[in-house]
Amino acid sequence: MDVETIRATIKQAIQQVTGIDAATISDTASFTDDLKLDSLSILEIAVSVESQFKFQANDEELSSIRTVEDTVALIKRRMCVAVA
Amino acid sequence: MTKRVAITGMGVVTSLGNSPTEFHSALCEGRQASYRRESCELDDASCTQGGSISSFEPESYLSGKPLRPLDRTGRIVAAAARLALENSGWVAALLRNHDVGLVLGTMFGSVRTIAEFDRRGLTQGPACVSPLDFANTVLNAAAGQTAIWHNLRGINSTIACGSCSGLMALGYAADLIRYRGHTAILAGGADEFCFESFCGFDRAGLLCKANGHDDFPVPFAAARSGFALGEAAALLMLEEWDSALARGATIIGEIRGHGNAYDPGGNRECRPETIARAMEAAVADSGLNASDIGCISASANGSVFADRNEALAVKAFFNGSSDTIPITAIKSAVGEVLGASGVLQAISLIETFRTHTLPGIRGLEQIGPELPELNLCRQSRTLNICSGLINSVGFDGNTCALMMARAQATN
Amino acid sequence: MRRRSLADSPVVVTGMGMVTSIGIGREEFWNSLLAGRCGFGPVKSFDTSGYQVHLGAEIRDFKPDNYVHRLNPASIGRSSQFAIAAARLALLDAQIELNAAGKQRTGVCLGTTSGEPHYVERFDDRYVQGSLSSLGDEFIAGYPCHLVPGNVATELELGGETMMIPTACAAGNYAVAHASDVLRMGKADFMLAGGADSFSRITYSGFARLGAIAPEICQPFDRNRKGMVPGEGAAILLLETKEKAEARGARIYCEVAGYGLSCDAHHMTAAHPEGEGAARAIATALRHSGIAAEEVDYISAHGTGTPTNDRLETIAVKKTFGSLAYRIPISSIKSMLGHTMGAASAIESAVCALAITHQQIPATMNLREQDPECDLDYVPNVARKRAVRVAMNNAYAFGGNNSSVIFTVCAA
Repeated sequence: MDVETIRATIKQAIQQVTGIDAATISDTASFTDDLKLDSLSILEIAVSVESQFKFQANDEELSSIRTVEDTVALIKRRMCVAVA
Repeated sequence: MTKRVAITGMGVVTSLGNSPTEFHSALCEGRQASYRRESCELDDASCTQGGSISSFEPESYLSGKPLRPLDRTGRIVAAAARLALENSGWVAALLRNHDVGLVLGTMFGSVRTIAEFDRRGLTQGPACVSPLDFANTVLNAAAGQTAIWHNLRGINSTIACGSCSGLMALGYAADLIRYRGHTAILAGGADEFCFESFCGFDRAGLLCKANGHDDFPVPFAAARSGFALGEAAALLMLEEWDSALARGATIIGEIRGHGNAYDPGGNRECRPETIARAMEAAVADSGLNASDIGCISASANGSVFADRNEALAVKAFFNGSSDTIPITAIKSAVGEVLGASGVLQAISLIETFRTHTLPGIRGLEQIGPELPELNLCRQSRTLNICSGLINSVGFDGNTCALMMARAQATN
Repeated sequence: MRRRSLADSPVVVTGMGMVTSIGIGREEFWNSLLAGRCGFGPVKSFDTSGYQVHLGAEIRDFKPDNYVHRLNPASIGRSSQFAIAAARLALLDAQIELNAAGKQRTGVCLGTTSGEPHYVERFDDRYVQGSLSSLGDEFIAGYPCHLVPGNVATELELGGETMMIPTACAAGNYAVAHASDVLRMGKADFMLAGGADSFSRITYSGFARLGAIAPEICQPFDRNRKGMVPGEGAAILLLETKEKAEARGARIYCEVAGYGLSCDAHHMTAAHPEGEGAARAIATALRHSGIAAEEVDYISAHGTGTPTNDRLETIAVKKTFGSLAYRIPISSIKSMLGHTMGAASAIESAVCALAITHQQIPATMNLREQDPECDLDYVPNVARKRAVRVAMNNAYAFGGNNSSVIFTVCAA
């Protein structure tokens, strides 16, 4: 799966939670500062991403994601593991 | 010292209009709510009536924040709250400086969210459940979400008593003002129409049977066979009388008193004597007399036994002399809206005080032959009254009555 | 014109009954509590193999047939069974036999988080299996949460106001608060007030997904605390006016002096970061009870054991009590019972009443290394003898609900 698809999926998940148009969400937007997401909404996005990419992040990984790019990196990492 | 409870505003979300005036006019004109039903909801349901409000668009009431955290119940309540706050003049700046409370009556609260949350866990695994939905699996979710949306920091309570929930919530909130020093509480009730409650009622045989036409079952009618399930949210702004006057609010009515009773008979039915007991308690609590009751807004919804028992209770309550007191009922127009029912009855009564028009019981022709003689209003009529009594009779033994009066400076 | 004002007579607790994972009935419960017994174990009521946590505080030895006589125990939910048991035990404890007139003037007011969750879970099982067509009246006759107080009233043939106040994890306090008002208003002679909840897959799934469930142990206020442990149970208090209690020669545990309820209006699941609403509830409760801050001898904490709750609760207590906060013993029995949801603050109300009666405070168990951010006196690991004249019960809930109820020794 290419990075663009992963990125689009994440932004779609953000749109679902916030109502913000996915096309306007930047890759480096901070979940808390720019998108005004609280911890529950970030977790909601994480769960949505997890179930689409079929993995489960641990607590440390969950608290490490602060932007779209962080989340892409996490998924790439986890998918490599899954493939391996 | 006991305080008086002023009603200073109302907010409704119904399929008969989204203002008290529209709603009351629709009742007086004999219109019936148009509900929407998803075709796939329950293919083999024996009831074909009822459904959810087709015209409700949350975005037109609730803007500026993401809507995703609120489920349907939360949205209709937050929308009705906005209307009631605006109607009573509680603007955001006032709310910042005052702890306004919220008391919400609901039978099922967030049952749709609860069930969908659970089913996602069942089908996709517990790791896939939605955190945002989990926040709404508590039965007080709509009250919590509405408080967050509108910054209501006073008491936040949810009252669950089946179809009596809304009226009991009004009584509960009124007592907090009368006896407990609260000055402003938004109070009312709501229930969404959802698959879970509809399926539950349908399978339990409580809903009206498909009768080949779209008319809702008619309270007290000979042909009644159960009720139709609707959807609504309705809230009243209740304020301590003097502080309402002090802030220059317009007082549109008063809650005088209420009475609750339970029938432990065990067959989940309120016997006439229990319904009458709640009515007596409400009148005693109000400081008024039975002779002051200008009209009765009945709970009747087309149920076979509950309607009969309520009619018998009214007869017994007035000691047989009730032939002249006009009795109306709203549920052939709006359906059984559970937590919202009693509050919609209250709103219609307040509008009756104001417009001097009492709506008739939509579609009432042939009255059940087993019912006692009562002045059941078939048509809307002119009525100039100072006070009225509202009944809520539940399916499970709960019964509640509430006395309301028009706004009068002295009591 | 008749206008009633609140009765002058205080409202008192004259009976209590509880069903918990560490004991059923007042004596067994209190002895377990003082001994620091914990009710945790692997969850048995449903399969947790798909979860990352497996710990729960279920009640293992409850026999509904011992308590449910008039109703068919199989026809009502587990929360109703708990509530009926707690109500019967409370009446027994109060040594009261209600006559027909008394029953008519007795109400039931309970709190809950989930009501009867097993009925909606069964509904969902059927949905998934495609067997909803044979649902019958099981869902409607079992699920709606107001059936819990209704079932208590039906079982005991009570005709007063029955009400469910489902304000989640603060619900027990809301119920006790309302019941005391009903009595003060003279709208009932006796009120059975409390809360009930049963162990639920829905609640468990949610807290597990939030990462809020402790894997091994519940240790409120500990620096290494990892979360709460979902539990179940019920407690019901018999409340009446002091006047009536004295007239019938009843044993009085304590007085329900007053309460404060507030809403953060901040977040559904997270408490206000400065404990604003919680502090407001405490201040209102003190004012309403006519109690000065320095008179408080014990605080029964919400104390769930999640990192955030315990820290913010500590902030809220300090916000209201200032330097006095360091002198008030605070304990969380959730360290033993887990979080019994809507029943929690009802059980903790009973604990306040018992602390006043026995002049003893149950400990916060499993507190090995105190969190530096939680720097108050949490009565670690050993129950304490202490004069308790005023006890405050704090409880918080989803929806931003805050509640504080104050119990005091009953002046002669």
